[in-house]
Amino acid sequence: MRNISLIIRRVWKSAFMLTALSVLIVSGTQAQDAAEGRKIFKEKCTSCHALDRDLIGPALQTIVPTKSEAFLLKWINNAPAFIASGDKEAVEASKFNPNAEMTAFPSLTPEQIKSILAYVKVGEPKKADDPKNPAGSDEVSSFSIAGVVAIIVVSIIILVLLGRAVKMLERLILQKQGIVVEEDVKVPLSQGIGLLFKNKKFVFFFILCVAMVLGTFGWMGMWNTGVHTGYQPVQPIKFSHELHAGTNQIDCQYCHSGAFKSKNASIPSLNVCMNCHKQVQARDSHDGNISPEIQKIYNALGYDADKMTYDKSKEKPVEWIRVHNLPDFAYFNHSQHVVVAEESIRKAKGLKPNEPVCFACHGPVNTMQEIYQYSPLTMKWCINCHKETQLDMKGNAFYDKIIEAHEKIKKGEKLTPAALGGMECGKCHY
Amino acid sequence: MESNKKYWKGLEEYKNTPDFVDNNKNEFAEPLPIEDVLNEAGLSTVTPRRDFLKALGFGLGAVTLAACQPAPVHKSIPYLIKPEEVVPGIPNYYVSSFNGQSILVKTREGRPIKIEPNPNAGAFNCGTDAVAQASVLDLYDVSKLKAPVLKNAEANWAAIDQFVKDGLAKVAGKKIRIVSSSVNSPSTKAVVADFTKVYPTTKHVQYDAVSYTGIIKANENSFGKAVIPKYNFDKADLVVSFAADFLGTWISGEEFTSQYVSNRDHKSLAKGKMSRHFQFEAGMSLTGTNADTRIPVKLSEEGPALITLYNAITGSNLAGGGLPNNGSADKALKLLGKELLQNKGKSLVVCGSNDVSTQILVNAINSAIGSYGTTIDLDNPSKRYNGNDAEFAELINEMNRGEVGAVFFLNSNPAYDVANSKAFTDALAKVALKVSFSDRTDETSSLCDVIAINPNYLESWGDANAYEGYYSIVQPTINPVFNSRQAEESLLIWSNGPVKEYYQYVRNNWEATILPGLGKTWNDLLQTGVFAATAKPAGAYTFSLSLDAVASSIASSSKLLAKDIELQVYESLPMRDGKYANNAFLLELPDPVSKVTWDNYIALAPKFAEKLGYKEFDVVSVKDDKGYTIELPVLIQPGQAQGTASIALGYGRTKVGKAGNNVGQNAYPFVGYANGTLKYATTVKLSGTGRTEELAQTQTHHSFEGRNIIREATFKEYVKDPAAGSGNHGEKHKTYDLWDKYEKPGNNWVMAIDLNACTGCGSCIVACNVENNIPVVGKDEVRRRREMHWIRIDRYYSFEENGESVTEEKEIAHLENMDRVSVVHQPMLCQHCDHAPCETVCPVLATVHSSDGLNHMAYNRCVGTRYCANNCPYKVRRFNWFNYWNDSRFDNYLNNEFTQLVLNPDVTTRSRGVMEKCSMCIQRIQAGKLQAKIEKRPLKDGDIKMACQEACSANAIIFGDGNDPNSEVSKALRSERIYYVLEEINVQPGIGYMTKIRNTDTTVQA
Repeated sequence: MRNISLIIRRVWKSAFMLTALSVLIVSGTQAQDAAEGRKIFKEKCTSCHALDRDLIGPALQTIVPTKSEAFLLKWINNAPAFIASGDKEAVEASKFNPNAEMTAFPSLTPEQIKSILAYVKVGEPKKADDPKNPAGSDEVSSFSIAGVVAIIVVSIIILVLLGRAVKMLERLILQKQGIVVEEDVKVPLSQGIGLLFKNKKFVFFFILCVAMVLGTFGWMGMWNTGVHTGYQPVQPIKFSHELHAGTNQIDCQYCHSGAFKSKNASIPSLNVCMNCHKQVQARDSHDGNISPEIQKIYNALGYDADKMTYDKSKEKPVEWIRVHNLPDFAYFNHSQHVVVAEESIRKAKGLKPNEPVCFACHGPVNTMQEIYQYSPLTMKWCINCHKETQLDMKGNAFYDKIIEAHEKIKKGEKLTPAALGGMECGKCHY
Repeated sequence: MESNKKYWKGLEEYKNTPDFVDNNKNEFAEPLPIEDVLNEAGLSTVTPRRDFLKALGFGLGAVTLAACQPAPVHKSIPYLIKPEEVVPGIPNYYVSSFNGQSILVKTREGRPIKIEPNPNAGAFNCGTDAVAQASVLDLYDVSKLKAPVLKNAEANWAAIDQFVKDGLAKVAGKKIRIVSSSVNSPSTKAVVADFTKVYPTTKHVQYDAVSYTGIIKANENSFGKAVIPKYNFDKADLVVSFAADFLGTWISGEEFTSQYVSNRDHKSLAKGKMSRHFQFEAGMSLTGTNADTRIPVKLSEEGPALITLYNAITGSNLAGGGLPNNGSADKALKLLGKELLQNKGKSLVVCGSNDVSTQILVNAINSAIGSYGTTIDLDNPSKRYNGNDAEFAELINEMNRGEVGAVFFLNSNPAYDVANSKAFTDALAKVALKVSFSDRTDETSSLCDVIAINPNYLESWGDANAYEGYYSIVQPTINPVFNSRQAEESLLIWSNGPVKEYYQYVRNNWEATILPGLGKTWNDLLQTGVFAATAKPAGAYTFSLSLDAVASSIASSSKLLAKDIELQVYESLPMRDGKYANNAFLLELPDPVSKVTWDNYIALAPKFAEKLGYKEFDVVSVKDDKGYTIELPVLIQPGQAQGTASIALGYGRTKVGKAGNNVGQNAYPFVGYANGTLKYATTVKLSGTGRTEELAQTQTHHSFEGRNIIREATFKEYVKDPAAGSGNHGEKHKTYDLWDKYEKPGNNWVMAIDLNACTGCGSCIVACNVENNIPVVGKDEVRRRREMHWIRIDRYYSFEENGESVTEEKEIAHLENMDRVSVVHQPMLCQHCDHAPCETVCPVLATVHSSDGLNHMAYNRCVGTRYCANNCPYKVRRFNWFNYWNDSRFDNYLNNEFTQLVLNPDVTTRSRGVMEKCSMCIQRIQAGKLQAKIEKRPLKDGDIKMACQEACSANAIIFGDGNDPNSEVSKALRSERIYYVLEEINVQPGIGYMTKIRNTDTTVQA
């Protein structure tokens, strides 16, 4: 049932997207600025400013509209120099917090400052109700369903029109032959529909259409049974990959250290979190309190942030909800893919040099507020990649002999994992 | 086919019993209900249209509803604080020791899941036996106690400590006894010594259920050294054994196997060298099946046989020799005397008897043939067993006299495993303080005030000293799962020692006494697991005592046995002395000779059983002179000496746990006590009960229809022509293939099995079970031929009469008796055929071929038609009839979350309705390849080892890449001895077998 409702939702969404697209194109440039501004804001400003409340600096959404853009450009670029220049407004502004002076950001260009201001004006973007749906192919399939429906509707109209034309022509012929044809008696519309449903041909055609539509939906639904692309469960801690991997640029391996050694990428143990979060408590954005999400880490470890002590008796492990579930009978090894096959996968998936190889399957993790399943993780998906990926095994002596043997047998054929037996059942199922 | 010799899987086959003929027709044990369906009634039954529609509608609805279930939410719980050395998904290995043997323990995410031999084990470097392999399951035994017990109620340690200390104070002045099986751990000994200092009336009484006191006493008598010597089977060109099962249970089976086989395997044969082995015994032992010449002798003839041999060697005329009723043995012994003299210094005579006089005579023989200093080393003795039967007998007297105030049981269970257990338990009741260190409420601990539960060895610190100067460490691989405390730590606490933590104690003890002498550190030890001091040179000892008293003692004990039916009670290879009786892997491991699982039985020779009027599986009542009676089914065992019977010890436990309770009958009460040692021979009377009980045997489950699948030659023939008997002569028949040849561009995984090395011990079976999560199915299911073992060891009999091998089926039917039976063990596993017949019949392509020569099995694709099993010529495919890990009917194994922790996470557990078979440890192949890929190097020969191969002490299994001409396996497969089983049907198996070679000598043949 879940899938059917999903599909219906997708159809609606696609229609919505079409209409929204034009609006987006118009407002696109501004949104772009605000997004960039948000990024810069998170990097440089959050330690002193919040949008909606005073911290070390004033609440920006109240103060910014009262100032002119020219003033703000100068102030943000280099406040100490601006104040030193004796500007009245600047001196006045510096009185907000006598203990702290606004830091100078000479590296910020006026465009970047404008972006920040745009962000301050727009505020935090509202979260979409639905998980982002990154899989383009699914959209296409929704479009194709809509297309099928449209074709059916159009063909019905054409058939009706053609039927009328045929009737009219027949009548004309008959009239020419001198046979008087009675004018069709105009019947009211409701009665007409009633008559229509007495027409066996029409009923057959109607049922056929309905069966086709339902069949298509059913087929698509069954195809996607057990496919959890977009699965985004609510996690016990609202951990943001966007913040950690995106804004803060923490390497994937820092936390998922197993990925390069083991079959399991492994969820980091809390001592890894504590490496940073012993200090980083995000008090600035929580009115001086420890962020409730970070507090959850402390609770799990029985850690008292004030005394900086651990209490073993209060330990309670965090029960994350697993997002990427492979069935037990499928063996997958991370290290095989990210260590041995890194270059091949990078090329096949067209990853940029600054993107980690993990993105090939896990998608743009650095933009995911909460993690969701990006790839379908179906066997078809695995197999397709194994069939198409050109192997790049230069410099790995393990493959020398095997490639040589392979070349002898299948001259010139593309060297893929499948060609080396990567599609045999036992390679993943044992 | 060069030889016409006939082989038999079992007597059923040779006799063509109606049952066998019936079963033989069908591929599956249970007939398919085809006839029921197709008979007239079946065909004429009308299925009403409405019923059909109802069923259809219900089915559709049910399936739809079932499919509507939302996908389950999986939790993922990381460590709070991850230990630095743990990477989830990557195994960690720790060295430890099991029963004195150094091992590697494989752990995954902190759980021990597999035992491997330690390659650093030095002189003691061999595979692991079945018990060691299975021991990992004991850690996850749900029948263990979860907390210590005080007066039949769970208690905390403080209460226990208080109780024991008070108790010890109350009995001050009275004797304190620590009763244990043999202890060779230096630290445990030191703890006992410290305890004795505080409580000076303490004495450590060591006894072994299967005792070696006779050898120790005999060596004390003969050479003044109360030890079990180190035997060097590798230095012996001629081995003569009198009922010593040295390849199985005798002293150190795995070690002796590796030594013994090194003189007989393909490497030795390639050098044109092979030892000779004679076995004289009553019951058919594993060692007997491997002997070049095995001659059955009665238990009462064993002593006279030794005297005969002694006389033949020395030319003296010791009274009591000669075997008037066993001409062939008598003749053989006389000839053997000459041969032993020819091989002076290169031969070894061993005897399984626990009688001091008999062992003194064996010492005299060994001295006469110059064994001391070469094949027997008295200066670096074995310390595995040092039990003293007399001390234990005295303990019962002391307890009866009320002299004992406190008794502690450490790794011992006398209420079960001593002969006079009634006398023992009565005496025990007179002791004020009774403490057991058992891990469960067993026969003895249930009688004790306190059960101070001792953790499993995988949770413990400790050490072992298997040989003089050879030390190994026991280190924990997991935190204690239950609220247990090591026995040594308890003793330290009760004696108020300065160091109470046992880890610290062991470490102090090593750093003070052992490590300085070796120039090593504690950390070195934890890494290698084993330290051996340079062995002392083995001195030559000469026997110089008079043997007259010995001979008369032997004669009188022989006389005592020469009445009724002579009964031998022996240690069986899977169950050993019964300590591991709750281990389901061991319970289901077939006995290497009889192939019986989950039971003991009384073995009788075919002709003798006929004489007594018993058929196989008749339940008979066995009664000894003391009146002890048990009822056991009969097993017809060719090769059993006429007039004798054999019963295995270690069965019939009543308080061991879910799996082992009431399996078989307890044979310990048949053990006798005379002249200061335990006697494992007695006389019994049999009477029929009229009942029958089918034993759960695995051997006769499949028929090989008389095909030529065992090939053998004598050593003489081999020397003349290495390909003798292998069928590799002249032109082979041209083969025609329906299928294209498989290309194997990368690797070609193949195996070679040396039938001359394989002793049939079965440790590979258990290793495979543990590695591949193979379920235990239980007795009833084995009876239905549903055992799941991926590798089995087929045992084939062949017979000789008058020095001629029997070649015609009808001749066997007329054999006088089947005493002169010879045995071949053949490990049988999926042959990974290139033209696999199973693959072509699978309707869903669940079993397919890979480009590296393996036959893959995709469980998730299998729909369970069982066509493949039907079409497999080797009958190695196994069908899952149940979800054995989640079915209350199979409660003795995996049906609980705790025991499931033993599963290997790299191997899928198969569900009901799918077929499975040997995967050639594909998880190991893949892991080995990945390791090489990550290290960017080509795969080396030996990088990947099969579980069965690693466990094998005999190196009978060789695995590797057939595409690499320099790999061990390629070399082995080029041997002239190689043949392929059922080669003629052109399935092109990937496993080659080397012919069995027997070093029989016609001059000694009787």
